[in-house]
Formats: sequence, C-alpha cells, structure tokens
Amino acid sequence: MADEFMKGFGILVTAGLGWMVIAGWYKTPSFQGTQLLGEYPESPDVFSQIAIYLGESLFYFAIFGALAFWVLVPAINQARQAYDDRS
Amino acid sequence: MTEDTDTTEARADGGGTGIVPPDDETPTWSERKARKQGLARTTYEYFERARREDQQLRQESDYVERDVLGFPAWPHETIRNLALTSFFVGAIVFLSATLPPHIDAPANSGVTPPTILPDWYLYWSFGLLKLGPLNPDLALLGGQKLMADRTFGVLANLVVVGAIAIVPFLNKGSARRPVEQPFWASVGVFGVILSITLAVLSVKNLFPMDSHLTFDLTFLVPFVGAFITYAVLKSMREGYMFELNRRYYRLRPPK
Repeated sequence: MADEFMKGFGILVTAGLGWMVIAGWYKTPSFQGTQLLGEYPESPDVFSQIAIYLGESLFYFAIFGALAFWVLVPAINQARQAYDDRS
Repeated sequence: MTEDTDTTEARADGGGTGIVPPDDETPTWSERKARKQGLARTTYEYFERARREDQQLRQESDYVERDVLGFPAWPHETIRNLALTSFFVGAIVFLSATLPPHIDAPANSGVTPPTILPDWYLYWSFGLLKLGPLNPDLALLGGQKLMADRTFGVLANLVVVGAIAIVPFLNKGSARRPVEQPFWASVGVFGVILSITLAVLSVKNLFPMDSHLTFDLTFLVPFVGAFITYAVLKSMREGYMFELNRRYYRLRPPK
C-alpha cells in the first residue's frame, strides 16, 4: 500500500515539476499577469510545439498516473482479493 | 559475565532451590484468588478479551508494530533527513535553473505606491489595527470614544500576543494527537482561522466581498470552525478503535 502511494506521489511530483517548467516557459506571458495558466504563444516554431506537447502530456500524466496508483491499482487489488475470497 | 558469578539464575537440574522470584507478569496469590469469582472475574475476562482482540488486530494489520520511543539518530533519522533534504534542495536547484526569476525595475523612492501593505505574514496584525467598529464609545463622555481607533488597534495587538504567550502556561501540551484533548485542539483551530480571517480583514478593500460582512465573518468563522473541530474530535473519542489506539499510544516520552 505504501509502495503504491510512493509510486503515485513520485509520478505526481516529477511530472508536475516538468509541467511547471514548461508552463513557466510558454504559458507565462508576463510576470505581473497570469502565471503558468496563460495563453500559448501564437505560431510557435517546431521546438516550441514539441515542448508544448510535452508539457500537455506531462500535465495529464501527473494527474492520471497518480490516480492510477492511488485509486485504480488498489481497486483492482481489492476486487481480485474479493473475487478470490468468494470462491 | 561468567557462569560462576551468575547465581541468581534458577537451574532446573536439581542443584538449585527451584524457587523463581516473581516478575511483573507473574500474578500474586491474591490476584489469582480475586480472579476466581464475581465481578473481579468478569472484569478480568473482559480485559483479557480486549487484550486478545488487540493482539489479533495488530497481528492481522500490515503495519509494523513499534514499541519503541523513537528511532536512533544514526543511521535511521539521518538518512531519512538527508533524503528529504536532498529532495527539496534538488527541487530548488532545478526550479531556479529552469525558471530564472523575473527582475523588476528598481523601486522609485520618490513615488508612494498605491497599495501599502506589510509582508503577508503580518497581515493578521495589520487586520487588528482595523477594529475601529469594535471600539466602544461611552455615554458618559457624550458618545465620545475613550481612545482613538489606532490606540485601540495597538491594544488589540497586545491582547492577542499576550493570549498567545499565556497558552503554554495554561496547557503544557502532553497530547500527541488532537483527539486526546479536543478542547485545546479547537482552541488551536480557532487561532489559526482567526489569523486567516484577520489577514482577509486587513485587505478588505481588495477582497471581493462587502466590507461589513467581512468584518462580521472575521469573528464568526473562527467560532464556527472551533465548534466543528470540537464536535468532530469529541465524537471521535468514542468507539472501539479509539480505546484500542489509546492503549496503543500509551507509550509516551517522559514529561
């Protein structure tokens, strides 16, 4: 149980840091305005497109990776145990 | 340690007296007699059953049973602290390397900024300076106030700081968890919420809420939070698991 918490937490922290950096580069138009949640720049070049795609995937990986290890895997284990206990 | 000097140990080869001095676990004869009948027997069986259930629950759970006061500083605590420290230092180095800070234009000392506020951790004190509506006026003085609002605010600061300074003398804080002392836990929650609501009161001009409502909620919300905390913790004191935990956590460091 503790191991699965740590796996999910590691995913959340690592992917979240990566998302934070890319969002700081591309989604922070100015220091005074919206930070990390601003608009993407118009007509990004190839490297910016790659970074934006990476940032988006890191964002969803952080959320769904953590949810997988905190909710999905324990639920599957519980269900399997219940199934084994029934028979 | 040699075998010759160790004469207190009982020997089973017929050489010794065979009399074993009683330790803490050995029941005395009066205890054995008391357990035979009546209420004493019921009580004994009840506690024995509780102890057995406790033991079974501990053996079933996947928690590591710990019956020590703490872990040694080396290597356990040191390595854990090193791991945590390097994690946070690594996060700081990573963020400062990848997200260089924005450096603003230098401050112009000739212009007063439009919003004057202290640092955020002093907002509660700043909010206490804005308690003007609470400053009582006396009919004797013809509706005049006894002291200026700013004096009242400074006095309110003194009262709050004084109350915080008195708390350690009122309660030494031997509880390990809030459940053990619900009243003091709710007092703590009251203080935490009051500091937050006072901070909101200090920036009431910037806060998107009616300022009179903000003023009222500043003193209402802490009481609500304290009552909820007290009710929740008090209801958590009942039940089998609480009794089990109380026995489990009875091991305490000396006061």
